[in-house]
Amino acid sequence: MHYANTYLDKPVVGDLEEAATEGTEKVLHCMLNTGSDIYQGACKKRGSTLKEEYKNASGTCYMDPRDMAALGVKNWDTVLVKTDYGEVVVNAAKSRDAPHKGTVFICKGPWANTVVSHETYCCSDPTYKGVKCTVEKTDRKVLLMADLMRWVYKKYVDETDDDVVENMESLGELPVYKGRKWEDLK
Amino acid sequence: MSYEPPITDYDEIVENCTCAFCGCNCDDLDYLVKDGHVVAVRHACRLGASKIMEDMDQRLIVPMVRGANGELEEVDWDTALDTAAEYIAKSVRPVFYGWSETSTECMKEGIELGEYIGAVLDNQATICHGPSLQAVQNAGYPIQTLGEVKNRADMIVYSGSNAMNSHPRHMGRYSVFPRGYFRQRGRFDRTVVTMDPKFSDTAKMSDKWIGFEQNGDYGFYNAIRAVLKGKKLTQNVVSGIPAEDIYELVEEMKNAEFGVLFFGLGLTHTLSKQRNIDIAIKMVMDLNRFSKWGLTPMRGHFNVNGFNIFMAYETGFAFGVDFSRGYTRYMLGETNTIDLLVRKEPDCFLVIAADPGAHFPNGANQHLADIPVIQIDIHWGPSTELADVVLPGSFIGVECAGTSYRMDGVPIYMKKAIDKPETCRDDEWIVRELKERVMKLREEPNVAPKYVPNPAAE
Repeated sequence: MHYANTYLDKPVVGDLEEAATEGTEKVLHCMLNTGSDIYQGACKKRGSTLKEEYKNASGTCYMDPRDMAALGVKNWDTVLVKTDYGEVVVNAAKSRDAPHKGTVFICKGPWANTVVSHETYCCSDPTYKGVKCTVEKTDRKVLLMADLMRWVYKKYVDETDDDVVENMESLGELPVYKGRKWEDLK
Repeated sequence: MSYEPPITDYDEIVENCTCAFCGCNCDDLDYLVKDGHVVAVRHACRLGASKIMEDMDQRLIVPMVRGANGELEEVDWDTALDTAAEYIAKSVRPVFYGWSETSTECMKEGIELGEYIGAVLDNQATICHGPSLQAVQNAGYPIQTLGEVKNRADMIVYSGSNAMNSHPRHMGRYSVFPRGYFRQRGRFDRTVVTMDPKFSDTAKMSDKWIGFEQNGDYGFYNAIRAVLKGKKLTQNVVSGIPAEDIYELVEEMKNAEFGVLFFGLGLTHTLSKQRNIDIAIKMVMDLNRFSKWGLTPMRGHFNVNGFNIFMAYETGFAFGVDFSRGYTRYMLGETNTIDLLVRKEPDCFLVIAADPGAHFPNGANQHLADIPVIQIDIHWGPSTELADVVLPGSFIGVECAGTSYRMDGVPIYMKKAIDKPETCRDDEWIVRELKERVMKLREEPNVAPKYVPNPAAE
């Protein structure tokens, strides 16, 4: 059956003007904002949260090109973002809304959740925007959604060590359960 | 994206369907249906089309319960419902969170269950427009419908909202581009201003971008209010915006015939939270001394407003309603989902048509790893990774009819277009079944005993 296509591997981002060099800084101190964008929204609401597409749409840190040059990262390199509330490995990409030097943007999703503040200051609403963070280059891989949830919450694994869980065999891009699948119903 | 040929191979067109994505609730969509599936959608934005042509790989098909080894296993509906009902009936402090992507009819069943079992009922407003609802109680609600905006507005302000990314048809269908009765030339008759620290896609389409600094919204609106009241600004720059620009903007706003402020999560998620909205509402009030102005929160889900309207009508409070004492109670910072989870209070969490796994901060979600989680949803999402019981629902507006409320409070009946997968059930049916089973398991309502201040005196 021919469906209209709404899938996209990666969000469209601009090219960097200068080739990435070694970089001048090891660690950048930035302001972290989170929120939605159209790529993240389309992928999340379609339900494709286990897929590589969601990892790229939601687990990406949009940066100012000058910040990227300072760190020495190119589009789709990985960076480690740390805040007082946690840390996460995400992709780096040139922001479509640049310039905004000193501010980074991660779309909402499980990746952003690990680093935003749960402080509501008695207002019901956690502080998703304006969190101080550090960004550094890393060789670690961005985890797929299911692997990330396992790494962060460890609800159904006995292992408690972060590094061991991070390197466990991937749960993949399809739901893991015992039972009938969509194809079996036809 | 490469060129996509139009879809020509379809059996029928279902016209005038309502989009089940954002608070715009566009009710002019046409679904192209083949073999009981929507294969293409006309008139929808990228988000709406993407949601309606869902990813069947991740569709929740069968009811599931976690087995001993931590893997979800298919069970029949009776077992799944009984397991879920037992978790709820045994709990002391259950939280029923979600409701924004289901119908108002389903909420009706949910509130009965919540009242009986003494639960906290909360929806996504708690993490998005909760501060707006608080501000509305503080300062008032100068709202207008989107139809009025289309026909009358000549000045549109987006503040802390990126409509082009999160409500893509908002500008095209309601606010900026459409030709209205008094705005015959459409876009040319309107001035569009975007206030956002980020040069967002909406800002790129606006006549004016006001890029105040991060967390500068409160100061900036105060400056506008001061100027509106005829005061002179003593600082040359307020929140990163030069004083002369503020004078110029205020003059423009005063001279508009009908202005509307649309505000989004940029205001509610920064440090001043509901005070940002307070001040924005008061600014709109001040503007009404000179001209006609209104405001509308840019609600995210198609029925997030519906839950707030429904709860306010039924219980007197819009969200975060606590039934544990046998009467309704609402206390900011106490009966809201995030605060409850951070304090590790709940001992059972029912999530319906929502995804806390994807949208709650880590600090709150950690508690979900310690307690039973029951999920009613249509797709396998981050919350499914934390769920102990999974009950597959149906897709409102596509597979199931229901009522929803648009961001401006207009109720819209969403009709059914195709049949749901045979193993799924309607959300309304699932919640009603849960309610009946919980009532069987626990014959008395689960609420705290009556408080007697001085027992000896009675």
